[in-house]
Amino acid sequence: MNDTALSREHRERRVLAVIEAARRLADARDPLGRDARRALPAATGLSEASIELSLSRHLETSVTPADLAKLVTRAGSAPRVHVVLSANVFTAVVRAVALAVAAAPSVVVRPSSREAVLAPLLLRALVEQGSDVRFELSENLAPAPGDHVHVYGRSETIATIEARCSPGVTVRGHGPGFGVVYVSGDALDERTTGDLGSVAERVSWDIVAFDQRGCLSPRVAFVEGPPAAAERFASSLADALERREKEVPRGALTDTERRERALYRQTVQAIGPCHDGTTSVVGVDLDPRAMLIPPTGRHVHVVRIADPGDMTRLLAPHRTAITCIGVSEPSSCVRSIAALAPGARILPLGDMQRPPLDGPVDQRGML
Amino acid sequence: MNGEREARAALHRRVRDFIDASEKGDITAESFDELGLDIARHQAEHVPAYRRLTSHRRCHPRDATSVREVPAVPTDAFRLTRIAAHTPSEDAAIFRTSGTTSGARGEHPLSTTATYEKAALAWGRWALFFDAPPAGTQPSFASVRTAIALTPRRTLPLGDSSLHFMVQLFAADFAREACFLQLSPDTLADPGELRARSAAARHAGNAVVVMGASFAFVHVLDALGDEPLALPEGSRIMHTGGFKGRSREVAPSELLARMAATFGVPQSAVVGEYGMTELSSQLYEGTWRAARGLPTPSARHGVFVAPPWMRVVAVDDDTLDPLPAGEAGILRFEDLGNVDSALAVQTADRGRCAGSTVELLGRLPGAPARGCALAVEELMGSP
Repeated sequence: MNDTALSREHRERRVLAVIEAARRLADARDPLGRDARRALPAATGLSEASIELSLSRHLETSVTPADLAKLVTRAGSAPRVHVVLSANVFTAVVRAVALAVAAAPSVVVRPSSREAVLAPLLLRALVEQGSDVRFELSENLAPAPGDHVHVYGRSETIATIEARCSPGVTVRGHGPGFGVVYVSGDALDERTTGDLGSVAERVSWDIVAFDQRGCLSPRVAFVEGPPAAAERFASSLADALERREKEVPRGALTDTERRERALYRQTVQAIGPCHDGTTSVVGVDLDPRAMLIPPTGRHVHVVRIADPGDMTRLLAPHRTAITCIGVSEPSSCVRSIAALAPGARILPLGDMQRPPLDGPVDQRGML
Repeated sequence: MNGEREARAALHRRVRDFIDASEKGDITAESFDELGLDIARHQAEHVPAYRRLTSHRRCHPRDATSVREVPAVPTDAFRLTRIAAHTPSEDAAIFRTSGTTSGARGEHPLSTTATYEKAALAWGRWALFFDAPPAGTQPSFASVRTAIALTPRRTLPLGDSSLHFMVQLFAADFAREACFLQLSPDTLADPGELRARSAAARHAGNAVVVMGASFAFVHVLDALGDEPLALPEGSRIMHTGGFKGRSREVAPSELLARMAATFGVPQSAVVGEYGMTELSSQLYEGTWRAARGLPTPSARHGVFVAPPWMRVVAVDDDTLDPLPAGEAGILRFEDLGNVDSALAVQTADRGRCAGSTVELLGRLPGAPARGCALAVEELMGSP
C-alpha cells in the first residue's frame, strides 16, 4: 500500500480509531487505564495524582470535525512515518500517533527509553478494539528514502537524527520550547471585570500539568499594569500553587532540576519579591532588564510590564522557542502578541495544556 | 551618599593593602573574614539587590561570624539588575559578559579599577610573570620582551571585556612591547600577524607571552595547521574561557597539546586562567611556577589556584550550603576585590575545592553557558 491509497476519509477514520483507543487509557476503570496508572508514576517521576490528572484531563479523547480536518491536512503524506517520542510528556503519544497514521499507512514508533508505557498500551487498545490501524513498536530507526520521521525531543536529538538519515528522508522535528502567560491590566482590575483569584487559579493548573516539563508549560507570566498588580498576581499564584500541591503533589525532581531551582530562587531573591512555596518558587521582576526563564518543576517568573511592547522586547531573544501564549482574555493585544512568536498557539488560561487536536502541539514553522 | 563613598573608598584601600601584604608574604593587618564581613555589611546596606537577598535569606552579614555565612549573589543576577553600591554616574568601568542568546549581558560596574588592577597584576605576577621585578619597584627589565595578545587593543572609553582589560594591563606592566592581533571586537586574531610576530621573536631570541581566549587560540591553530611557530625559550601562553558559539569545541587536553606543539613550548608553559566578569580576581594553573621550581599548591592542568584575597568553596547544589573539602559541588567565590558589587558570587560551574585550589568539573548540566562561552541553548523542557 502506498500513501496515495489513503483517502482523506480513510485518514480521518484512522485518527478517530486512535482517539477511541486513547479513551480506554483515560478511563480509570478500564484494564488498560489501570495498567497505565500503575506503571506511569515510576516511569515518569510524576505523582499518582499528577498521572491521573494527565490521563483524565490532558489525554486527547475527542476531536471536532474542523480540527480533524486540519490535523489531516497538516499531517502530510508519506509511505511510512517513523515517530521518535520524548519522555517528558507521556500523553503526547496519542497526538503523535494520530498525526502519523493520518500521514501514512505504515507507522513505526520508537518510545523513549525512559517512558515506554503508553505507546504499547495504545497499541493494545487498537488491537483489542479490532481496528485495522496498527503501528510497529521498534527501538531502531531505519527510515528509507521517501519516509517521514517525526521527532519529538531535544534539539540535539533532532539534529542527530537529521544527520543520520539518508537523502530522501524527511525529518520533522518538534523541539523544545516553553509557554508564557499574558495577563492584561483589565484582567486584574477589580473595578472592571477582573478576577485575580480566578486568573491565578487557571494559570496554576497550566503549571502543574506534567510538572512543567512540557513545551506548552508556562514558565513566565507577564502582568500588565503597575508593580502592585504584578505583586498581587504573584502572591495569588503562589497561594494557588500551594493549593495545587495538596491536590496534585509534585513528583520527584531530577538532580538538575533541584540545582536549577536553588539557583533560580537565590537569583530572584536578589531582584525582587519571591514566594518560596513547598515545591514551587514564584519570583517577581518589577523592573525587568532581561528575561529569566525559571527551571521546570512548578516555578514561575512573574514579570511586570507597562504594555505588550515590553513583553515583545523581553521575549525577542526567545521568540523561536515560544510554543504557547496563554491569555487572560480576548483583547486587541492578542494580535501583537501573536506576531511576537509566529506559530505559537494562543490559548485561554487554564487550557494551555489542552490545545485542540488540529496538528502537532508545536506549530512553529508550520504556519 | 558621601558617607557611602568614603566608606567604600576606605574598603578599597584596605583590600589593596591586603593584596600588597599577601603578595609580599607579610601577615595581613586584618583577617580575610574581618575585611570580608565589613565589605558584605557595606553591600547589605548599599547594594539594593544584596539588601533584598539578605532580607529574603534572613541572613544579614552583621550577624555573621565568617564570610562563608553570608548569602552569595548568583551570576545570573548580574544580567537582570544592577549589582553595585555606587550610582551609575560613578562608574569608572562596566565589565560585561559575552553576548548570549538570552538577551541582556551581565554587567559588573566598578567605581574604581585600582583594586581590580592591583589584584590582577599581583596574581598574574605569581602565576606567569614572577620573573618581573616586584610591585612598586622601578623595572629595569620586563618579564618578557613582547606580549602578543589575541585580543583587540583597549580603546577609550574603556572596552567592556574584563579579559581585554586584563590583557592590556599585563602587556603594559610585564612586557616592553605589545601587539594586539584582533583588529576589532567583532573579528578574530590574524594568524598571519601571529606568524610574523612569532618569527620576529624567534629571530631576536626574546621570550614572549601569548594571551587570549581559548576559542581565539583554536581559531589561529586551525588556520596554522601543523605549522610550528617555535617561540624562544622562556615564552609562555595564557588562555582562558570556553568555546560555545565562537569556534568548534576542543577537549582541554587536545588544546593544551596543540598549543604546546605549535608554539614550541613545554606544556607547563601553557597556563590556564579562570576568571569571570562578575569577579575582580582570577585563578591560574600553577604549572609554569612548578616548572620553574617555585612553590605552588598545584602543578596540574585543570586545577586552578586562587589568590589569598579570594576563597572558593563547592556548595551543595540543592541547599547551597558549603561542602567539605574534596567534595564536588557548584562553585561559590568570595572575592575581596568585589568591593563595589557582591563579595560572594554563586556560579553554576561545578568543581572540587581543596585549600586554595579548584578543580573544574564542567558547567552545571542544563545551565546557560557563560563567560567567554556563548549560550546556545536556554533552560527549556522538551515537548
